[in-house]
Amino acid sequence: MSEHQDQNIGLTPGDRFGRFVRRADMRETLAWAVFYTAVFVVLALFFYPKWMPAIHSTNMKAIERLMVIFTIISAPVCGFVLSIATYTFRHGTRGNTPPQDSAPMRTNRLGIAVFSAVAGVLCLIAVIYGITAMNSEALAAEGDAKNALVVEVTGSQWVWSFNYPSLGVQSSELNLPVGKPVKFIVKSVDVNHSFWPVQLGVKADANDVVAVELNTTPNKIGHLDVKCAELCGLYHAYMETNGAVMSQSDFDNWVTANGGHTA
Amino acid sequence: MTTLYQSTSTRPIPNPKKSLITKLNAGTGLITGLIFGFGTYYLLRGSNDDAQVTFQIQNRAVLAGLLMWSVGFLIGIGAFIGPFRWLIGKDLTAEEQLYLAGDGQGFKRYFKYCTDHKVVGIQYLWGVIAMLAVGGTLAMMIRTNLAAPGGRFITPPLYNTLVGMHGITMIVAMIIVATGPFGNFIMPIMIGAADMAFPRLNALSWWVLFTAIPVLCSSWFLGGTPIGWTAYAPLSVQAGIGMNAYIATIIIFAVSTAVAGANITATVVSMRAKGMSWNRVPIFVIGATISVALAIPAFPTFMLSQIMTAMDRCFGTTFFDAHHGGSGWLYAHLFWIMGHPEVYVILLPGVAVLMEIVPVFARAPLFSYTTAVVGFAGIAGLSVLVWAHHMYISGWMPMLNGPFMITTEMISIPTGLIFLVMLGTLWGTKPWLKVPMLGVYAFLWNMLIGGVTGIYLSDVPADNYLHGSMYVTAHFHYTLMGAALTGATAGLVYWFPKMSGRMLNEKASLVSFILVQLGFQVLYLGMFIAGAEGQPRRVADFAAEYSTSNIISTGGAYAIGLGFIILLWAVIHSWRHGEVAPMNPWGAKTLEWTVPYPVPLVNFDTPPVVTSDPYGYGEGKK
Repeated sequence: MSEHQDQNIGLTPGDRFGRFVRRADMRETLAWAVFYTAVFVVLALFFYPKWMPAIHSTNMKAIERLMVIFTIISAPVCGFVLSIATYTFRHGTRGNTPPQDSAPMRTNRLGIAVFSAVAGVLCLIAVIYGITAMNSEALAAEGDAKNALVVEVTGSQWVWSFNYPSLGVQSSELNLPVGKPVKFIVKSVDVNHSFWPVQLGVKADANDVVAVELNTTPNKIGHLDVKCAELCGLYHAYMETNGAVMSQSDFDNWVTANGGHTA
Repeated sequence: MTTLYQSTSTRPIPNPKKSLITKLNAGTGLITGLIFGFGTYYLLRGSNDDAQVTFQIQNRAVLAGLLMWSVGFLIGIGAFIGPFRWLIGKDLTAEEQLYLAGDGQGFKRYFKYCTDHKVVGIQYLWGVIAMLAVGGTLAMMIRTNLAAPGGRFITPPLYNTLVGMHGITMIVAMIIVATGPFGNFIMPIMIGAADMAFPRLNALSWWVLFTAIPVLCSSWFLGGTPIGWTAYAPLSVQAGIGMNAYIATIIIFAVSTAVAGANITATVVSMRAKGMSWNRVPIFVIGATISVALAIPAFPTFMLSQIMTAMDRCFGTTFFDAHHGGSGWLYAHLFWIMGHPEVYVILLPGVAVLMEIVPVFARAPLFSYTTAVVGFAGIAGLSVLVWAHHMYISGWMPMLNGPFMITTEMISIPTGLIFLVMLGTLWGTKPWLKVPMLGVYAFLWNMLIGGVTGIYLSDVPADNYLHGSMYVTAHFHYTLMGAALTGATAGLVYWFPKMSGRMLNEKASLVSFILVQLGFQVLYLGMFIAGAEGQPRRVADFAAEYSTSNIISTGGAYAIGLGFIILLWAVIHSWRHGEVAPMNPWGAKTLEWTVPYPVPLVNFDTPPVVTSDPYGYGEGKK
């Protein structure tokens, strides 16, 4: 112990840090940390883009990006935790004889301070990113409000129905024109439901008193799955319908065919 | 004179022949309970030409019957004899008190109103095992139905009941899984106490809880509770007669947790051994106490929400009927003001068990005791400020989504400190890789995944997509099962020698551990994928596009089921035939390892004096 201290006399903090990271246990731990961080970064880049459904709105794009970025931010944290766990596990004691007592380390103020600061900063990044994303959604919705297509969504046990008041159309399918902002006004006539057009990345509970507003802009032509995301009784699992984001001309044709009038 | 501190061998076996308490047990409780329950039901039942009124009359009769069963059982088992005798000025004699503590009664005392905390601990243990077995069986049925699209095995109404019953059974079991068995059996010995602060209340908390188990199960015969464990209004107001079983369970359970919470808190505050200052209290005791203290304010709101639901159903009040001045959001608030602290009520004791295990197996002091306490207290403090993150998309108050997002994400900081304490303790050690220690490693991985996915869910835009999906289900199973249940299972292996006098079969517990943990990863990886793909939770059936992820999940679930069956076998087998355990098989320094098996009635022949915290590994041998 004293020999070790003698060696440190006259070393700058930088030198000491250099020695610390060159220790055999630190080298292996760091290697594991890099490995796990890389694994989580790769996971971030592939897991959500692979498994989340096709993106049909600006909201959905932002959500997928957020999931990827949050996973990348948390990758070094995972690396830190799993590297220490893996190192100690690999060097653990097997068999029926317990190990010798280790050199006691009651606390390490610098370590705790650095850890708390890093945790705080990561938390702050997540909060700022989340609030920014939330506000940009709200601002976009406000800007689009004037020329948005209004769709009244009504949930009842166990069907969805859609009313387009400006077009005079009622439908059990949710069809929307591409590129046009849409405002859903969601309500229920009985118990709580939750309106979930999956590929649009938005969701709102439907209750029987207050209509809940929901804004998005579909930006890609394709199929929509509409589901209920709140347990609403017997046939909750089957409370789903189809829909589509279509070109303006297809949408106009659909409106006309269903007895409505185009704007 | 017979005293509590006389050793068992010289103390005469108490035999207060004429006292009523010698005649009462769970059997007499059962009889009076059934008489009270069915009697109340037959008195109140009736019908009316108006279907709505008939529904209210039926609800009143069934709910009152279920609650009176509980009261009747407690009278029949003798729960109120002590207070009654005190009221009439004839308090129990010393001999009767010793009899009530189960002194010299062997196996019989487990079926009596017994005030010995060790008996209560064992009663809780087997109660929890029974509940986990029921909840686990329901989970297997759920996963079987979801193995392939089409929902071929189970009808939608039965499925909805399965999901709700699985949820509430597991939640109730998990709330008591660590504080029940270990908080009652081990904790008083850990702090050097002779018993709990209020031994009769201790027995009461268990037997009240016990009466809730048949009440919950009665739901199956009353038409089920197809409303999920959250029992949202107005769906719950519309639900059938089986809903009364849910309501009665929550009311009874809330009484039990209030009694248990007050008792544990009072015990830790006032009964610690001489010299055990707050910075020398074992960390499990700190975690468990913070957990039960958090439950004391949380559960009354849950009880209140169910009383209001019951009134809407029984008397036609309109607490949750928005057309007559009520609000469904009111229910959601009451529920989640309980519901989010409650997940930490579940999590903290499990984590605290693991924190107790790390220093013992790493043979190193707990790294920064203060940080651990700050972590626990920080989680508990923040947990009461986050409830509305369950309501981001409800439309209740979008302006407040931002603040609730901030408080929720802040919980990652004290949670990080919990990780830091464990990793700091592990650092530089060569931990002894016994099954309890493996639980610590499983926790680190599971809680990491549970925590990181929790950050996505706390984020408002991401939650817009993920809320109500299988992703949420996978997330909270990672925290509650992957972290809390792993902690409790590790605790069972760790303290089994003290509770049963024998070692738990190591090979079987290792095989069980591997099956459960690997199956767990497979099950919830599949569920994360299903959720990301867009499968809602609580669905009896799903579209063909989710087939792959669901069959993966079902495979993982069966591995978990098999693993737990092996563990159950190991527990039963080892309890009877296992290798006799030495007094301190793990070489730990906490007080419970200084007492022999069977643990004497008052735990210590002479009350212990504490001079340091129990983590002085590697210290004092310079």
